[in-house]
Amino acid sequence: MVAVLLIEDDDRIRLSLSLALEDEGYTVHTAATAEEGLLRQRREPADTVLVDLMLPGIDGFQAIRELRRDDDVPIVVVSARDDTHDIVAALEAGADDYVVKPVAVKELSARLRALRRRGRSGPSAAPQAQLDLGDLQVRAQAGEVLLHGQPLALTRTEFRLLCELAEHAGQVLSRQQLLARVWEYDFGDERLVDVHVGRLRQKIEDDPGSPRRLVTVRGLGYKMPR
Amino acid sequence: MKRPGLRARVTAGFAVGALLVSAAMALLSYQLTERFLLDERERTAKRAVMSDARIVRAGLDVDDPEVLPVLRSLDTGANRRALLWHDGDFYSRTVVDNTLTDSLPDSVMTMVSQGKAGVQRVRIGDRPAMVFGVPLGPDTALYEIDYMGELDGNLKVLGLVLTLVAAGTAVAGALMGMYASRRVMRPLATVADAARDIAAGNLAARLDPATEPDLARLATSFNHMVDQLSARMERDRRFAADVSHELRSPLQTLSAAASVLERRRDQFDPRTAQATGLVVEEVQRFQELVTDLLELARSDQPADSSPVDVAAIARQLCRQRGLPTSLVTVEADTSPVWHVDRRRIEQVLANLIDNAQAHGGGAVAVRLTRHHSLQVLEVDDEGPGVSPDDRDAIFDRFVRGRSAGARGDNDGTGLGLALVAQHVTAHAGTVQVLDRPGGGARFRIELPPERT
Repeated sequence: MVAVLLIEDDDRIRLSLSLALEDEGYTVHTAATAEEGLLRQRREPADTVLVDLMLPGIDGFQAIRELRRDDDVPIVVVSARDDTHDIVAALEAGADDYVVKPVAVKELSARLRALRRRGRSGPSAAPQAQLDLGDLQVRAQAGEVLLHGQPLALTRTEFRLLCELAEHAGQVLSRQQLLARVWEYDFGDERLVDVHVGRLRQKIEDDPGSPRRLVTVRGLGYKMPR
Repeated sequence: MKRPGLRARVTAGFAVGALLVSAAMALLSYQLTERFLLDERERTAKRAVMSDARIVRAGLDVDDPEVLPVLRSLDTGANRRALLWHDGDFYSRTVVDNTLTDSLPDSVMTMVSQGKAGVQRVRIGDRPAMVFGVPLGPDTALYEIDYMGELDGNLKVLGLVLTLVAAGTAVAGALMGMYASRRVMRPLATVADAARDIAAGNLAARLDPATEPDLARLATSFNHMVDQLSARMERDRRFAADVSHELRSPLQTLSAAASVLERRRDQFDPRTAQATGLVVEEVQRFQELVTDLLELARSDQPADSSPVDVAAIARQLCRQRGLPTSLVTVEADTSPVWHVDRRRIEQVLANLIDNAQAHGGGAVAVRLTRHHSLQVLEVDDEGPGVSPDDRDAIFDRFVRGRSAGARGDNDGTGLGLALVAQHVTAHAGTVQVLDRPGGGARFRIELPPERT
């Protein structure tokens, strides 16, 4: 059984979503505050976290940062807020995906499945055993990335994104292609890609301000030079 | 009639002012110069006349004097004429000219008859002259007429020069007025720029009251106005966000609860199952309505602009709806990548295709083309078309297609085409509905090229 942690302060939403998600086959842990959720996740880790942004006490953004501190658990934001500013801030804090309320349970369930498939040993991982890009080595099957010989801590989404780009090194991948391959969106919000590329650069670039391992091709997308 | 502009008025004011001042100065200088020159001339002439008078007196102070030789001995030069009144007759160096004797002014003759010397300016013929009279004894007096033609000529030149100077000063005044008004108006241009920025959505634009002390009041009230405006917009934005949140949260509960019911529908008795179906459908419809309404409420915000493959979006939308992607065509001279707001253009296309599916008997073509410099997007259907009377109203809110008849399953929210119109307007474009050749409706969107 896949366990999902739902951090949501609205009692009715928490109850109805956990009923519906249980119908979809998930085990649902619930928490009404971020503090409670963080505690619950430490004691009894869920496979995926669903988090609202507007929470009493510690807010959703802070909760995501706290979760990310020592964990690569997939995080999906479920929020009624849909302005660019909030979406980007939540993704930058470390969320893997973002859905706006009201979201259909089937859609949410599809997002959760896609997120799980992003796992390191999933079937869509790069077939080659190892991709060498200079001092950056991607061992897709082992789920390892080495920079200057040192292993990097990446979230699943960052890892899949890096695998896609490394597998097609020297080729430009459009944001929509990356959305389809990494997030499994037919088409979706390109900010997902931009923010994750930014986060990835923080980890793999010596100077994230002037990237050279993962470059932007203006008007087209991103690529990793061979 | 349109009132002349401030700059024209300032320029004219400067010109008139300069003209008045310079004309007054010219007139004054002319008169002072004229008086000085005349006085000087009179003094010089008077000395000469007195000297002549002494010579004549000496010449006549002999027994049996001879008048003509005495007169001829006078050095009168070219400008002076001497007339001697002696014993009831006039004498001159040549034949006595009657016009000369007639032109002697009475005032001078009266002075002389009273035994005093006199002087008077007159015009003889059209020549200006000074007439001097000096009594030399009881029946004797010397009159001299000094023609001032040369002086008159000089004064005429002076008058001309001063007139030209006055005119030149007026022109210089006008130029200064133009320059000054331009300088004065320049700070207003920064105000105009700031106002334009604000209209374009940059609410951070402010004026610095320190740079133009004279406009400090304008700058302060301008900034105050912008502060108020942005505070108001911020309030509106927050209200819209609150409304959005307050509507979305209960909808989330409804949607999740409805899906739990839906899943158990076949375990319910027929009546409950039917009611469940209604609840599920209406929750879905209500959800779409709220999403569209919230979208409409914020659709007046400026559109983003990034390169977007519009044809790819159209094909994807067709795939999702089970339509062949071959419906989407791109004319040879048209790039499929447009600089638009991706989310909005996606909604525009989705709503137009859905509209064609629901009310137009199905979409038959989605075409990207060009018309002059405009980027054109057309969605064709094979339905009954839209009657000319309805072609504007169809983009109003909550107007539903007639072909839908009574409200049915596929009724939509009534906001789809209103959203299309709003999004297109946010891109500074136009949308219209036309007849498709061969029957059906053609929705045509024209966007200006390459927005930045």
